[in-house]
Amino acid sequence: MRRAYGAGRSATVALDDVELTVPPGRFVSLIGPSGCGKSTLLRIVAGLEQPDRGEVLVHGVAPAEACAAKMVGLVPQSPALLPWLSVLRNVTLPQRLNSGAARRRERIPGLAAREAAAPARTVQELLAAAGLGESLHKLPAELSGGMRQRVAIVRAFALRPDVLVMDEPFSALDELTRESLQDQLLALWEEWRTTVLFVTHSVTEAVRLSDTVVVMARGPGRIVETVGIDLPRPRDEGLMRERRFHAYEDLVRDRLRRAWHSEAA
Amino acid sequence: MSVAEGRTEEASDVRPARPSRMRFGHPRSPLAWLRPAVWLPPAVMLAVLAALWSWGARRLPYLLPPLRDVGSSLTGNPGYYLHNALATLGEAAAGLGLGFAGAFVLAVLTSELLLVRRAVMPVAVVLNVTPVVAIAPALVVAFGFGPAPKLIITGLICFFPILINTATGLRSVPQEVLHVYRSIDAGRIEVLWHLRVPYALPYVFAALRIVFPLSVIGAVVAEMSAAGSTRGLGTAISVASSMNQLPVVYASIAVLALMGVALLLAVTLVERRVLHWHDSAKD
Repeated sequence: MRRAYGAGRSATVALDDVELTVPPGRFVSLIGPSGCGKSTLLRIVAGLEQPDRGEVLVHGVAPAEACAAKMVGLVPQSPALLPWLSVLRNVTLPQRLNSGAARRRERIPGLAAREAAAPARTVQELLAAAGLGESLHKLPAELSGGMRQRVAIVRAFALRPDVLVMDEPFSALDELTRESLQDQLLALWEEWRTTVLFVTHSVTEAVRLSDTVVVMARGPGRIVETVGIDLPRPRDEGLMRERRFHAYEDLVRDRLRRAWHSEAA
Repeated sequence: MSVAEGRTEEASDVRPARPSRMRFGHPRSPLAWLRPAVWLPPAVMLAVLAALWSWGARRLPYLLPPLRDVGSSLTGNPGYYLHNALATLGEAAAGLGLGFAGAFVLAVLTSELLLVRRAVMPVAVVLNVTPVVAIAPALVVAFGFGPAPKLIITGLICFFPILINTATGLRSVPQEVLHVYRSIDAGRIEVLWHLRVPYALPYVFAALRIVFPLSVIGAVVAEMSAAGSTRGLGTAISVASSMNQLPVVYASIAVLALMGVALLLAVTLVERRVLHWHDSAKD
């Protein structure tokens, strides 16, 4: 797959010759320096951009079709909540819009079976599990940054998505809030086992969350290595202090550094 | 607003609820007017101005009527002023309504259709800098002394601020919000109604705060330009000044000023109700 911005000699090739297959139910992180095209890759999967060459399939269908069937749950960098809606209504609005999606979902092969496997949870239950039970009727401005990002995550899960696409969702949060949101995301994910594509700058975050870490390099954006993280789940704080966790961190960091040097050379 | 909201850094995940906005002594609370620090400065200013006026009225009786005469003209014939004020207010409101409806529909079209935006916006900007009051006499010639030219002038004056602000507001939805709703393939009408229109509301109210006083100006100018009209404060002013009845002129002006204040107050109250979630409705 290839994606370039602009044309001719001034064109910037954001992604070139990228090939990646994500098995269903895997948690995959994309990590790499700024400008390596990881966010572009994510936007293509979320149907927000089209590749110039090649194709992307989400569970066998094109991203546009997947979006039309509301199979994609997007969590952007900022929570992107509507400031005039309560927490509850911010979560339920995307469910109410595009009501034709239910019909389209039926036509997606295998989706019904995958959906049946996902836990049946109401929005209220999801919000309560995220620690937002008391805040259902608050406006986003009355919440802290961390709480707002929790709402954004619940909003994505409430769509019962087939693929969760997360673009550095925790990068604006402080260390402690970030770890507690990682805990929450892992708890939800272990229950749902939906496929996740997660863009991050943080090696620790990538190793902690993922089954697979995809290391990318830039100029042009490409995948240099895929690192499988073979650590037991659930991954609690204790694991983060163990030697094998640090070994994986060192491995990913080493691959990142190598990618950096190869482009400098 | 929401673009930056994810970037606020909070050490704690919990934040105390925002204190009530309407407590006593708050700068925006109506009860704040009980505090001398709030009512005293404008009161002193008014007293100084009134003293200057009275002094001027004694020196130049042909230019300034004594305030007492203005007051007695108001209290002596309140029905006359009320009747004319209602006529002017009716024209202003009807013209504003027309201008608002037209501008809002056109703003939606410019935000949805790039071609319309490219065609309309440059023309709108040129027409906006053309003083509409200068068209008033021509419109009176074309449409006579009835309500038509008054509605057209008022509507035109209100049209452009609403058009430009609303068009800007409809396009002010943050990129990431649009991404979330595009990723669920929300329809155009859904995006317009659930995202674009609410995000445009603060801009619409900013325009209304400009346009409410302008609508009164439009109505008065139209009345003055139509020499044969029989109602309205603009007519009252031009008739009274041609007969050198200065107290009536200034009493009418005072009524117009009160009307403007009342309209502005009304917009502000509605705005605070509707935009309680927006920064402009706080502090």
